[in-house]
Amino acid sequence: MYRGREGQWAFVLHRITGVALALYLLLHVFDVGLVMYGPNGPFNAFLAFYHQWPFRIGLILVMAAVVYHGLNGLRIIVMDFTSWGIRYQRGMWYGVLVLTTAIGIPILIKVVPEILAGKA
Amino acid sequence: MAARPKTLKQARATYNTNWELAWWVFMRISGFLLIFLVFAHIFFNNIQINVASVDYAYVAKRLSTAWVKVYESFLLGLAMLHGTNGLRYSIEDYFRNPATRFWLKAVVFTLAAALFVIGVMALWAFSYQQMGNAMNAVGHGG
Repeated sequence: MYRGREGQWAFVLHRITGVALALYLLLHVFDVGLVMYGPNGPFNAFLAFYHQWPFRIGLILVMAAVVYHGLNGLRIIVMDFTSWGIRYQRGMWYGVLVLTTAIGIPILIKVVPEILAGKA
Repeated sequence: MAARPKTLKQARATYNTNWELAWWVFMRISGFLLIFLVFAHIFFNNIQINVASVDYAYVAKRLSTAWVKVYESFLLGLAMLHGTNGLRYSIEDYFRNPATRFWLKAVVFTLAAALFVIGVMALWAFSYQQMGNAMNAVGHGG
């Protein structure tokens, strides 16, 4: 296996989260598009289905992917457009991981009890 | 103004850019904007409220608001272009067979285009009541 150190894992995670978010986006637009069938259409049934706990945990993963992909994207922009970005890319990646965790913890504190409580 | 290039060769020399470079720049600009657009979208609809309380009434009320229509339209357009181009990068990186690449891209581009249209329709399907009120307030209402 190719051992590319931090930069390789930053790329792999960016790829996986990116593909996952793109596929989620397509599904999300399809779901919200169902509002066009009106209040008696399939929209509420779809949402009730998605409000089951496995999908709400999935939503936590979507949020984690968004935060990582966004922050690592900033790291890529800094690497591409500054003279010093490449030199500090490894440190910045650890910064991305720390910030992702730092943003993730309050989200977990807010969302996990809601999931444990069941329906809103 | 300099004379326009008359051949493809001249054009390539004149406009020292190409589609791949344009997409490369677009991914960075749209990515930067999407950080703010997506983070706020998630905050308002998933963190500030319990996501399980989202239902038809919530979405219909939201999508009847003028600024939400505009905000979400920018989000939809940028995210669709950024995401679809990202999927194209991935397909071109991992699939070597030209036929496989062609069909995968055909499916992804068709799906993305169709869902973009669905998204625009959903965003602009609800009444313009609040937009109308805003227009009335400045004296242009009908």
